[in-house]
Amino acid sequence: MEEGEAISSLNNITPSTTPKTLDPIAQSKHAALLERLSKKSHTRQSNPDNSPSSLSNPPFESTQSFLSLFSQSKLSIESHLSRIHQTPHPHSNPQLKSDLQNVSMSISDLEKLVAEKSYFLPSYEVRSCLKTVSDLKQTLDNVTSDVVPKKKFGFKNKSTKKDISLSNAVEKTQIGNPIVESENTGSRVWDSPGFKVKENEVLVKQFEVGSEEVGEFTLSDLRGCEVRLMGCLRALFVNKLRDCRVYVGPVLGSVLIEEVEGCVFVLASHQIRIHHARGCDFYLRVRSRPIIEDSSGVRFAPYCLRYDGIERDLGEANIGEETGNWANVDDFRWLRAVQSPNWSVLPDCERVGTVAIQSLES
Amino acid sequence: MGLLSIIRKIKRKEKEMRILMVGLDNSGKTTIVLKINGEDTSVISPTLGFNIKTMTYNKYTLNIWDVGGQRTIRSYWRNYFEQTDGLVWVVDSSDLRRLDDCKYELDNLLKEERLSGASLLILANKQDIQGALSPDEIAKVLNLEAMDKTRHWRIMGCSAYTGEGLLEAFDWLVQDIASRIYVLD
Repeated sequence: MEEGEAISSLNNITPSTTPKTLDPIAQSKHAALLERLSKKSHTRQSNPDNSPSSLSNPPFESTQSFLSLFSQSKLSIESHLSRIHQTPHPHSNPQLKSDLQNVSMSISDLEKLVAEKSYFLPSYEVRSCLKTVSDLKQTLDNVTSDVVPKKKFGFKNKSTKKDISLSNAVEKTQIGNPIVESENTGSRVWDSPGFKVKENEVLVKQFEVGSEEVGEFTLSDLRGCEVRLMGCLRALFVNKLRDCRVYVGPVLGSVLIEEVEGCVFVLASHQIRIHHARGCDFYLRVRSRPIIEDSSGVRFAPYCLRYDGIERDLGEANIGEETGNWANVDDFRWLRAVQSPNWSVLPDCERVGTVAIQSLES
Repeated sequence: MGLLSIIRKIKRKEKEMRILMVGLDNSGKTTIVLKINGEDTSVISPTLGFNIKTMTYNKYTLNIWDVGGQRTIRSYWRNYFEQTDGLVWVVDSSDLRRLDDCKYELDNLLKEERLSGASLLILANKQDIQGALSPDEIAKVLNLEAMDKTRHWRIMGCSAYTGEGLLEAFDWLVQDIASRIYVLD
């Protein structure tokens, strides 16, 4: 008796894993679903013309007829697009907008058609048709941006604003926005010590060890100048120099160089970053690997500066020894194993030899 | 025994925090990470790509992602946004000229939806350099007061060179994340 019960309850459990013997609610739902499906299929068969684009396909659910219809619409859309594209003066055509709209609508009709018929099409056909549709959309986008230049213009407008602040064309600006803002807020004027906006001068600065001046120093907007910085400093910013010679003692922190052209730099530092340099020579001693970005025609050689007490200064800054890193340049614009075309090692015969500088003009 | 060790393992895993360090190049991100981990900071090359450091901080495990800040590779920052608990934005307080650049990049970053839940620590680095702006001044330039009210943020001065201010700053960040994520502790 007990055994029999056990068996019958087992029998009850096993079939319940299939949907047929689910509880009555699920069962009725299932029936309703089947009902709906068969109704749908019936309407399709009895009325094959209910979709607007199926006028020419009497054989119901034929892949062949679908494909021919698809390629027809595709051809018509393409010819439409190329006609719009080849109109000599697209801007003067008042119908341009509506033409583009029509094309866009027929593309989406086509997409709908694929979706509608996808239930009987082989999956390969569905994929390739959808690909075609997305290609058509891409072409439409391209044509639109060609003949309707409005969008492009808006984008350009935005980026020029940034270009102006970066370009060397603005020669007389000293330092960017922060100063202006500081005047507004009434706090101290944010200006770092440095040589700014000079032409054809010899600029000399001696940093005393332990003096409070030893902070950051800025060189900006110089043209045809010779700069001599002696002693240790913490950080050096170089910006917009043209045809200058820059000789610098040890920098304990980092050197950041941007927008320089036709210059010679002799630098010793822990870190050196060079951005937007054209046709410059760098004589470096660096503890880490120097990097260049957006630069071209820059050449590198070992440090070669001499002044009274430079050995002591270099030792104090922990760069007394040559590291050989002057030749280990990383080009962030050239992330490949082969040598970057943007920089090279300066040939021995073209190097300047040792540069000796003094506080006074020589 | 087996169950207990599994529970312990899960617990330990839950105590992980993912921290993303970003900022302009030359702001000192890598130096900060090495400094708080007690490593040598005398030879650090500009980061080409990224570094990951895993360290234990109080009872939490920090996974710190230090991503290079050169202009060319800033577009890759987005690859690291997913599941970030804490965001550290590092500023070179002595680089006055590029502060507007710095503001522009930070504003862009804060628009990112995937980072909207992350606690934000702004480090006004290089305070040891003569002429560096104070954290208050940096906050003014970056217009931090205008930030979304739901964001947990704080700006703190520090020097990766001397190590000053770093521990206090990370204390705040870790506590803030913990209070959001591990409410039950």
